[in-house]
Amino acid sequence: MTQSMDAHPVRLVIEDDLRRTRLTVFFRPLLAIPHIIWLFLWTLLTVLFAIATWAATLVTGRPPAWLHRYMCAYVRYQVHLSSYIALAANPYPPFNGEEGEYPIDVALPGPEAQSRRKTLVRIFLAIPALALSAAFSGSGGVRFSYGSHRAAGTYSGGGPLLTACAILGWFASLVRGRMPKGLRDAGAYGIGYGAQVLAYLLFVTDRYPNSDPTAMLEGVERPPEHPVRLVGDAHDLRRSRITVFFRLLLALPHLIWLVLWAIPALFAAIANWFVTLFRGTPAGPLHRFLSRFVRYQLHVYAFVYLAANPFPAFGGREGTYPLDLVLPPPGRQNRWKTGFRIVLVIPAAIVNSALGSGLFVAAVLTWFAALVKGAAPWGLRNLMAYALRYQAQVNAYGFLLTDVYPHASPLEGAAAPEPDAFDYSV
Amino acid sequence: MTAKTAARAALVAALAAIWAVAAYLLWRSSVPSSLRLPQVSVHQLFPAAQLHAASSFGRFTTLDWALATLTQLVVFGLYAWRGARLTRESAAGPIGTGMLLGMIGFALVWVSQLPFGFLSLWWERRHHLTHVGYVTYAFGNWAALAGQFVFLCLTLLIVMGFSRLIGGWWWLPGALVFVGLATLSAFVTPYLLSTHRLQDAQLLAQARVLERTEHVQHTPIVVQAVHDVTALPNAEATGLGPSRRVVLWDTLLDGRFTDRELRVVIAHELGHLESQHIWKDVGWYTLFAFPGAFIVALVTRRRGGMGMPEAVPLALLAIVVLDLLALPLQNAITRHMEAEADWRALQATHDPAAATALFKRFVTTTLDEPDPSTLEYLLLENHPTIAQRIAMAEAWRAYEKSAP
Repeated sequence: MTQSMDAHPVRLVIEDDLRRTRLTVFFRPLLAIPHIIWLFLWTLLTVLFAIATWAATLVTGRPPAWLHRYMCAYVRYQVHLSSYIALAANPYPPFNGEEGEYPIDVALPGPEAQSRRKTLVRIFLAIPALALSAAFSGSGGVRFSYGSHRAAGTYSGGGPLLTACAILGWFASLVRGRMPKGLRDAGAYGIGYGAQVLAYLLFVTDRYPNSDPTAMLEGVERPPEHPVRLVGDAHDLRRSRITVFFRLLLALPHLIWLVLWAIPALFAAIANWFVTLFRGTPAGPLHRFLSRFVRYQLHVYAFVYLAANPFPAFGGREGTYPLDLVLPPPGRQNRWKTGFRIVLVIPAAIVNSALGSGLFVAAVLTWFAALVKGAAPWGLRNLMAYALRYQAQVNAYGFLLTDVYPHASPLEGAAAPEPDAFDYSV
Repeated sequence: MTAKTAARAALVAALAAIWAVAAYLLWRSSVPSSLRLPQVSVHQLFPAAQLHAASSFGRFTTLDWALATLTQLVVFGLYAWRGARLTRESAAGPIGTGMLLGMIGFALVWVSQLPFGFLSLWWERRHHLTHVGYVTYAFGNWAALAGQFVFLCLTLLIVMGFSRLIGGWWWLPGALVFVGLATLSAFVTPYLLSTHRLQDAQLLAQARVLERTEHVQHTPIVVQAVHDVTALPNAEATGLGPSRRVVLWDTLLDGRFTDRELRVVIAHELGHLESQHIWKDVGWYTLFAFPGAFIVALVTRRRGGMGMPEAVPLALLAIVVLDLLALPLQNAITRHMEAEADWRALQATHDPAAATALFKRFVTTTLDEPDPSTLEYLLLENHPTIAQRIAMAEAWRAYEKSAP
């Protein structure tokens, strides 16, 4: 595909083996303190250098080589430190942002010619990407503090997704000595996007950040195929401007219907819990009813968040919407997992909630973009599809449609896609 | 003429006769048919400056209304012409797609009406009739807008559902359901208002006397706080059966009106209840709903009928045009009922002087034109003019004198 083949010059390089040292995991926030102080000081200098780079790039059309190297080191150091704090990587990071020294690294371009026009207004152009980055990773380097007069650069501490991955990963790593791959991938995605935003903001490249999770994690091993997955035409990016403009109002009947449907769905889920607990398999009619509810929810949210274009049908039937959901038939489920489902679903719900804030920002940005261009940006569309897929997996798990835990990785499962088929995650 | 055509003509004639009889029954009023309103000269009743202010205010309001209505027609016209193309933006089946098209039509009209709404708001703010801010006006009323959209969807669900079920005859059960919904709405509305009991003991005692006089005992008199958004005084009789009540806006109780004038207001609203005007409203709605739905069914036939989503934009245009055409008649009906409530108030209070003072005060507090042009009167006035209301008080005085 054109979109994914045109690789971003700021690439995430992941060589992490998921193993974590329990001792350093336990004390990680404390161990990171020297790095955070160092980053703070480094950031102060970087703000001054960024202004110098901006002026130089504006005059000469490309950043000076030494400033470019400085900025690259700073961006790389941010990636290393974020990865360490968020448990996306294990070893203690170096203080100099050297390339190739850390399992989660970033490949950065050389000092290339940059558009002067884009350079002039870079700070404004970066606002949407910063908003998205803040919603996912929280990184991006510069934080404008309120309550004081400073607008100092500082480590921003992680957005909802990175924070959720770090906290959940902390517990998991302590217990298992390994970081769950889904959380690592999700965290790495947030860090990678933050690095692209920072690189854009610090004139390392004039290429706009690409929010497409699949492109970001290219080369990373895919997780096993999940029984709950998205299908549909990923390349249907056309959006009707008029329905985009009024999207929230147009979604009202669906939102009301969704709330009404949720009431019997809740009772059906309780009944399904008892049936699954005693029989080991969900009841067929309840499974079908809940499957349609979960699918309908995906259709509605895809419409509301502009991940898809047409007004959805009210029935949640399979194959009626361009962004659709494959759900498993009623199958055997582990009784322990069923019994404690309501507790087990909590970590997934936390990640889902963290993804929700990013989904919201992505939808707002898509709203503006679609009004102007009549199409959804590829990267944002795929990002929203990722968030919606995860949400659907959480719902399916919560409603006992499957006992396979939701996979937080932005990458779709490993099943080989057929050529021109309906796999969205190209 | 074939037997079928003759039968059809006979059916139409019978239905028209039923309609006319029902309209006659609903039109009946307690105002004596022999009553003749005297001519009153507004120039003698009001200072020239007041008349000028009211006239200037009214001119702008009328122009704004005319432009807004014209724009609405143009938008709905264009939408009826091109809107059907938007069916491709839906994956929701015929009824869902119809809902989508209906909502888009409403949304477009809402946007097109905003500038006129802002103009009207600006004008009212300039005359200190409202305190609503521009941002609140545009964004503070989302719940009401959302409610309209939901109601529209429900309407289309009923209409399109019947149409797909029974074809071209949908208008019969459809209109019946809408009459049911209108009745339900009339019953429920009072419960949706945020009100409190009238605190003024003296006024309350007078209201109790009026209730007995007008045979509507135990009608709650409640107050609705609106002073945050408007300075306009108003009151309404609302509800059916156990939900019926008289609602006074708190702007009536801010000291601008005397107790005698407030007594007239309460008597007027109780007069509505005594005359069963809420039920009559439902009755009139019924009389308009059936032919209206029939005409919409007729108009949309060329687009495959109301079962097809492509017909929805045309149906919206038809409804707006019908509504506009029926406006003079609807205004005449409400004016007729308001005149009867005025008469009931005069009969109950025996205080034409207070009534006259009240109506005169409306000119300063609402900037209503005492004697608007005929066109404004036909299209915009749903109450008798101030001049007519003062004349009614005069006529009542003469009627009482001549009574044996």
